[in-house]
Amino acid sequence: MSEYLLQMTGIDKSFGGVHALDHVNFAIKPGKVMCLAGENGCGKSTLVKIISGVYTRDSGEVMFEGRAIEKITPADATRMGIQVIYQDLSIFPNLTVMENLAINSEITANRKIVNRKRWEQTAREALSKIGYEIDLHKKMGELSVADKQLVAICRALLFNAKLIIMDEPTTALTKKEVDALFKTVRQLRDSGIAIMFISHKTEEIFEISDDVCIMRNGKNVFLGETATLTKKDFTYYMTGREIEDDYFVPTNISKEPVLKVEHLTWRDKFHDVSFELRKGEILGITGLLGSGRTELALSLFGLGKVHSGTITLNGRPVKISSPIEAQRLRIGYVPEDRLTEGLCLRQPIADNIMLSSLKQLTRALGMIRHQELFEKSNEWVKTFSIATDDAHKHASTLSGGNQQKIVLSKWLNNDLDVLILNGPTVGVDIGAKQDIHALVHDLANKGLAVIIISDDLAEVVVNCNRVIVMKDGGIVGEMTGDRITEENILDIIR
Amino acid sequence: MNKAALKRMTRRTEFYMFIVLILLCVLVQIKSGGKLIAFPGIFTRLNVTVLRTMVVNGMFAMCSLVVMISGGFDLSFPAIAALSYSLTCTICLNNGWCQNSPVVGFLLAAAIGWVLGMLNGWIISNFKLNTMIVTLGTQTLFTGISMGLLALKEITSTLPNGFKTFGKLYILEGVDGKIRFTLSAMVIFLILLCAIVSFILNKTMFGRALYAIGGNEVSAERAGYNVKKVKFLLYSSVGALSGFVGMIRVCMESQSIPKAMVGREMTIIPAVILGGASIFGGEGTVFGTVVAVAIISLVSNSMLLLGIDTYWQQFFNGLVILVGVTVSALQAKRQKQ
Repeated sequence: MSEYLLQMTGIDKSFGGVHALDHVNFAIKPGKVMCLAGENGCGKSTLVKIISGVYTRDSGEVMFEGRAIEKITPADATRMGIQVIYQDLSIFPNLTVMENLAINSEITANRKIVNRKRWEQTAREALSKIGYEIDLHKKMGELSVADKQLVAICRALLFNAKLIIMDEPTTALTKKEVDALFKTVRQLRDSGIAIMFISHKTEEIFEISDDVCIMRNGKNVFLGETATLTKKDFTYYMTGREIEDDYFVPTNISKEPVLKVEHLTWRDKFHDVSFELRKGEILGITGLLGSGRTELALSLFGLGKVHSGTITLNGRPVKISSPIEAQRLRIGYVPEDRLTEGLCLRQPIADNIMLSSLKQLTRALGMIRHQELFEKSNEWVKTFSIATDDAHKHASTLSGGNQQKIVLSKWLNNDLDVLILNGPTVGVDIGAKQDIHALVHDLANKGLAVIIISDDLAEVVVNCNRVIVMKDGGIVGEMTGDRITEENILDIIR
Repeated sequence: MNKAALKRMTRRTEFYMFIVLILLCVLVQIKSGGKLIAFPGIFTRLNVTVLRTMVVNGMFAMCSLVVMISGGFDLSFPAIAALSYSLTCTICLNNGWCQNSPVVGFLLAAAIGWVLGMLNGWIISNFKLNTMIVTLGTQTLFTGISMGLLALKEITSTLPNGFKTFGKLYILEGVDGKIRFTLSAMVIFLILLCAIVSFILNKTMFGRALYAIGGNEVSAERAGYNVKKVKFLLYSSVGALSGFVGMIRVCMESQSIPKAMVGREMTIIPAVILGGASIFGGEGTVFGTVVAVAIISLVSNSMLLLGIDTYWQQFFNGLVILVGVTVSALQAKRQKQ
């Protein structure tokens, strides 16, 4: 028997004319954590779908436990012990924890009648696999994302899983929850289960994986032990280009603060927050989920509440009661979730870019000058090298990084004093991330005051000349220049 | 019952609706001078009327409930019922069927409803379209078939005797002053149906599939449910049931009027929502639905007794829609947080 649990060689898969997988080799040993890394659209998910039987490969060989496997259907995959935990966890928020745990095996066993006792037994058995305890009768929708994930893992273990594939499991988790998840992953690994971990977060991959498989443009460019890789190699393999961390060097900081916040309080969200922001600065605000960082941003953009405290803009005290008011005061906000809060996905790219500056483009009676709208938005497409051939196409046709560029250009169209970026590169590839960072640096040095709110510490460290750390709704630390390191920030947060 | 279970219960819409129903009963009982519930004997002219109103509404509500749990909206069940019973009565009349026993009529109506429901199911499961739009289309189509294509007529005095006598069956009779009242035997069908639906929803994998699909359709598919098949089965069964319920109504009213069902969905669906079914799917119980139907039937039947103009009925129905939808949306919001 071979040392590998699953071995795939020369896997090919095409969709229409697109070569999604081009002679991909992949192998995973039992009792190891294997990371599958790569930027969006590199073929990661296609490979996963071939393993789980959703797609059929065009050619190539698959060996599972030393036996050649001809064709895999989803049912075969389950029988062989392959379990996929999708990003959305495939749970039923309206059902109880017990039902969520037991329903899959009940369906697989082709049962017709519900037997509560048996369901409960199955659920308890599932939980006992990782020694996890939770109220079985709680509704799934009431659990935290981390708990939901553990339930999903328990459910996967019911099927005598030998290989568990986790699709970007850390996306919605806080640092603490990620640590807890990794503990579980190691526990599973030590019990002999192979784990395939899909991610594009460099730090996580180095923390958790034994082996790594990096894919780019449908080919695997690296397959081997993680320990043999440096972070620089890794980035090179991911993007195909050398990327140096480009630290932000402020060159153009004004004397007078453009924004001054004093003793700002939104009850139960944050309290007594004071800071100053000068033109040409990039101020980082970081903290764990629930530290009040996002709420602070919302209050500065007129979407949150202010119970006490003052905001001074260019020396004048202001009251920001709505986003319209904030825009009038030349404050821009790029929200955390660009898909639902920052973009009209099913509207043309051009319309999205010009959305917050339509007033400049209207004739009498509020009619829009379409010709001009397209000309102006095309300029932005060029400036930001947004990857599209036609600004008439919907925003949904773009990748995450390019979408973020649209959201940025939407604001830059208006003359801004302050730009607040909340999680500017969440779900964005390393390459596009780099572009966005460079862009923000450039803007700051041209005299814009920027606030970056992020829990991606590496991002904060590279891009900010000053960082404020928040915890439980208050500011617990501030650092500038060389004092900004991941260790220093973590010391305060923890 | 432990504390956690009690807490869970108080979070449910059904629980509050039940309290509302009890309070309403007390109010009507006092205001009407004890006309709602008799001691001893329980049954009065008022409450047998309320029960009678509940039969058809309650059974239709079951049709609507199962669809809403699966995350869909069925606007076409009254149209299916209308076409099924109008066609059935016309066929029976022309052939001289059902003069003694109504069984053939019921089977025929259910079969027609089944075929019509299959059309819904086929479109919805194959093309994955919005159920409200599909059933709005089929509703209009079915009404068009019955009024235009087949030009089905009202059947009143000539209705086959089997139906008439069946509808007049009662399980209990009493006297209020000089007026005799009876409790219709059709109530048995309501109770039976509630029991069956409750069993299917809670005790069968098909029932759990409806909740699962309503909760997260993609997950249900991944978990191994054949979502297409479940949906087809659901809509075709609801069609058959609608035809059956339509026949019950014909028997109870001793007449078959093709237009009688128009707009009925707009009173049934709000009742189901009021009873705790979520407009987003995945939530809803038989108990809650029955309670909500009882509230609506009680109010509409006691308005005259309480000295309220019946024009207020419309006002009340509107209120029910708004309250029901708001509660449902608020609950979904709370669950998200």
